[in-house]
Amino acid sequence: MTATDSANEALYPIAVLIDELRNEDVQLRLNSVKKLSTIALALGVERTRTELIPFLTDTIYDEDEVLLTLAEQLGTFIPLVGGDQFAHVLLPPLESLATVEETVVRDKAVESLRKLAASHSPADLEAHFVPLVRRLANGDWFTSRTSACGLFSVCYERVGAAVKQQLRQHFSNLCTDDTPMVRRAAAGKIGELAQVVEPEFVRSELLPMFKQLMADEQDSVRLLAVESAVILARLLGPEDTDKLMMKSLRSAVDDKSWRVRYMVADKLTELQSALGAELTQRYLVEAFQALLKDPEAEVRAVSASKVRDFCVNLEASEAERTNIALNSILPAVKDLAGDANQHVKSALASVVMGLSPLLGKEHTVEQLLPLFLTQLKDECPEVRLNIISNLEAVNSVIGIKQLSMSLLPAIVELAEDSKWRVRLAIIQYMPLLASQLGSQFFDEKLNQLCMGWLVDHVFAIREAAVLNLRKLVEAFGSDWALSTVIPKVAELAVDTNYLHRMVCLFCVTELNSACPPDMVRAHLLPIVLKMASDTVPNVRFKVAQTLQQLAASFDAEVFEQQVKPCLDSLAGDADIDVQFFACEALEAIREKF
Amino acid sequence: MSAAAAGKVDGGPAKDKTDPFRNKNELKASKKAAKRSRGSSHYRPKAPTELTQLPPLKDAATDQQELFVKKLQQCCVVFDFSDPVSDVKSKEIKRTCLNELVEYVTVTRGVLQDATYPEIIRMIACNIFRTLPPSDNPDFDPEEDDPTLEASWPHLQFVYEFFLRVLESPDFQPSVAKKYIDQRFVLQLLELFDSEDPRERDFLKTVLHRIYGKFLGLRAFIRKQINNIFLRFIYQTEQFNGVGELLEILGSIINGFALPLKAEHKQFLVKVLLPLHKAKSLGMFHAQLAYCVVQFLEKDATLTEQVVRGLLKFWPRTVSSKEVMYLGEMEEIMDVMEPGQFEKIMVPLFKQIAKSVSSSHFQVAERALFFWNNEYVTQLIDENNAVIMPILFPSFYRISREHWNQTIVALVYNVLKSFMEMNSKLFDELTNAYKAERQKERKREKDREDLLKKFEHLHIK
Repeated sequence: MTATDSANEALYPIAVLIDELRNEDVQLRLNSVKKLSTIALALGVERTRTELIPFLTDTIYDEDEVLLTLAEQLGTFIPLVGGDQFAHVLLPPLESLATVEETVVRDKAVESLRKLAASHSPADLEAHFVPLVRRLANGDWFTSRTSACGLFSVCYERVGAAVKQQLRQHFSNLCTDDTPMVRRAAAGKIGELAQVVEPEFVRSELLPMFKQLMADEQDSVRLLAVESAVILARLLGPEDTDKLMMKSLRSAVDDKSWRVRYMVADKLTELQSALGAELTQRYLVEAFQALLKDPEAEVRAVSASKVRDFCVNLEASEAERTNIALNSILPAVKDLAGDANQHVKSALASVVMGLSPLLGKEHTVEQLLPLFLTQLKDECPEVRLNIISNLEAVNSVIGIKQLSMSLLPAIVELAEDSKWRVRLAIIQYMPLLASQLGSQFFDEKLNQLCMGWLVDHVFAIREAAVLNLRKLVEAFGSDWALSTVIPKVAELAVDTNYLHRMVCLFCVTELNSACPPDMVRAHLLPIVLKMASDTVPNVRFKVAQTLQQLAASFDAEVFEQQVKPCLDSLAGDADIDVQFFACEALEAIREKF
Repeated sequence: MSAAAAGKVDGGPAKDKTDPFRNKNELKASKKAAKRSRGSSHYRPKAPTELTQLPPLKDAATDQQELFVKKLQQCCVVFDFSDPVSDVKSKEIKRTCLNELVEYVTVTRGVLQDATYPEIIRMIACNIFRTLPPSDNPDFDPEEDDPTLEASWPHLQFVYEFFLRVLESPDFQPSVAKKYIDQRFVLQLLELFDSEDPRERDFLKTVLHRIYGKFLGLRAFIRKQINNIFLRFIYQTEQFNGVGELLEILGSIINGFALPLKAEHKQFLVKVLLPLHKAKSLGMFHAQLAYCVVQFLEKDATLTEQVVRGLLKFWPRTVSSKEVMYLGEMEEIMDVMEPGQFEKIMVPLFKQIAKSVSSSHFQVAERALFFWNNEYVTQLIDENNAVIMPILFPSFYRISREHWNQTIVALVYNVLKSFMEMNSKLFDELTNAYKAERQKERKREKDREDLLKKFEHLHIK
């Protein structure tokens, strides 16, 4: 066989695969496109450039799904066409893909084009990439112009001054495009472009475009411009921002569309850092107050979620920061705690505790604690849950003692909440509370709750209660376990509900690791052995599993005398699952001794 | 039948609306929430002034027109309806006043003087133009849930009523009004079609229709803006409540297009109406959409191929309820199809129909099989049986033995029987060839698998 023959043989499947690219079945075409890199590899760089890529360029009329894969693949194709100097041969198919209707395909094509731009030499950029941008920017249909918006920033930096000027002109045209879709794309990309444009042109050319977008008749354009505003403000620095942009920004805070105001609130902390300390205090504090009182609940909710970050980010002396938080922000926050909209209250509850370290102990007790208490009693479980999950921040400031004294009644109430997620959150707080409060206080106030959860009707709660029990024993010691926990466990062993009997076995498994071996032998093992004759098979095989778990706590003698007879009888059980687990346990324990 | 399809659309429930400004957790949270009370959608930081009752128009003897203007100005004050107890007295004064205005423009002639137009339009703009509030229920299910109704409807209703009466008044002069009802005005009006309240959208539909009819200079602009709304809906947000209403207006606009169709209109069909079929919420406006498409084909039959291929491209792969709608629309299209056009698209079309008939969802299969109840369609099939039968036969033959649903099997038997009557020779050939074909198919599949394995091998090397 000659060398050509073997080469042909290697190419035969390629021919078939290329054939598959034309198959009627979408799935087959898709499979084939996914193997495009294999095809290219087999063809070699030369034939990939001269045959495969032109073929692909011609076949772009396919299903969106196939096109999407194609757009993605082409972005990684540079090595397959012979390296950076040939990157431009990949542009034609991607150019067509950047003009199709479907957004995901277009976006992917733009993403790949952006990747390819980096591999172009400056000369190639001017010769191939910029003309492509120009063609897209002048396209008939909005799709190509929309795609063009994302390509300016990746080629601008490395082209000559004359070309740069052209690019700026094209972008400017897109900012005033007739179609809102294109203006939206431009508004979203103007910030990115500003990062690579020379400062003087940012001021003289991009800023006027930005202002125009900020005053667009469509709110969807304005709100995207707000996103870009953050980058622009950062580039300009506080002084110029104040002079050149502040008017536009302030009008956005007061925009008649809630979507725009929402976006301002959403970007508030980023704006804050871009504007710097002085402008923040001069304008943003006031703006934030207004947003917290916005008539639209949606805006209030997102503002509320920024309360902590905004206060933390205030660049000022500690006293001044506390002062702003206390006098400017807190009054609005207090109103929000009683908001009619639960969405708003819930957003607030998830961050408001974070104010505590900022305000210090005294203000926390005086100002925040009443707020927490109100929110802990909120009718909406999400609000309560958010407060409980964030108790830690307050704990570190005022201490658990004070916290628990004020919060205990609320916690007890929540422990019996009808929403199981709320109960779960409370359970997770128990070990922390317990270790801080001591066993006496705990026994008095909380013990009963913890035992009650063991027989909750939701499994997740029972499971969490069992884990909680182990942590409590770890904190309070085995004596406490003996006096408080084990009697309860023994009680569960004879409960009429088999699910509760199962809980008993879960408890034993968990306590095994927290109690000394002699205690396990003396108190837990007998409970388990007794349950081997349970009427429910699930309990019986759980017994086998539990015995296996307990193996670390008994010696060979105990095994021979007590455990083995029990497991042997289970191994002869009528139920196949019980047999299985009993044999498994026997084998595992035997290995040990 | 196409006209009937477009008939019953008034006040359809609002479409599913997902708010892009919420993250998933928040969405979940609000789903569980009890229904919020709806705030007024007017963004109005200042509290409104208290109104004083003006004397009734009918009592004014000489300066009726002056009083009319005063009343218009009074109605520019907008109230907060989220709070039912605030400004109760003023709200009632405004309501009565609006009611009186409606009656006044309806019965009195000569009220629409040049100087009153700006006042009229200002009053309307003050009341109806507002940024719509975020959707209350992001998981809105139009079949199950009630749409959130506009709180300020007690006033809005009269304002819309008034607006319509003005537009329909015999005294109304578009040449004067066009200074005020301009592009900006129309743009704001179009945004309102996103309202979740079907009553409002219904008024808007009639209002926009009247404006389109009376203001020739605005027609191209209105069409372009509707285009933009649809494109945003298809490619960017997937939410707009008024798609159905806008399509209904377009249905009658298309009806009035002059022949030959302009390139702009054809582009609208191909680049906007066809992609609209992709929408998740197609069910909310499919009847109107299908009506528009059929209107186009009745105007210009040469568009048939493009339309059918477009629909086949967007054909739903997983949503059976949408597939049923597509099949319905296809039947409407075939109803108006010329035999010459039919021949151009029958191959891809019947490949799809063979797939639909093979669907394991019996409603899809059943809907496709109902084509054979349509006399004109069966006639087209009959005329081209030599092409169509070989496409359909393998699926039909398989289904007649394998489909789980007895109704489908029975329907398929009927079709097979009709094939036999149509062309018994071809039928026999197909029956005989069926097994051989299946075997070939299996071999092809095996070859393909082998090939892919070879590839893996090649790739690893």
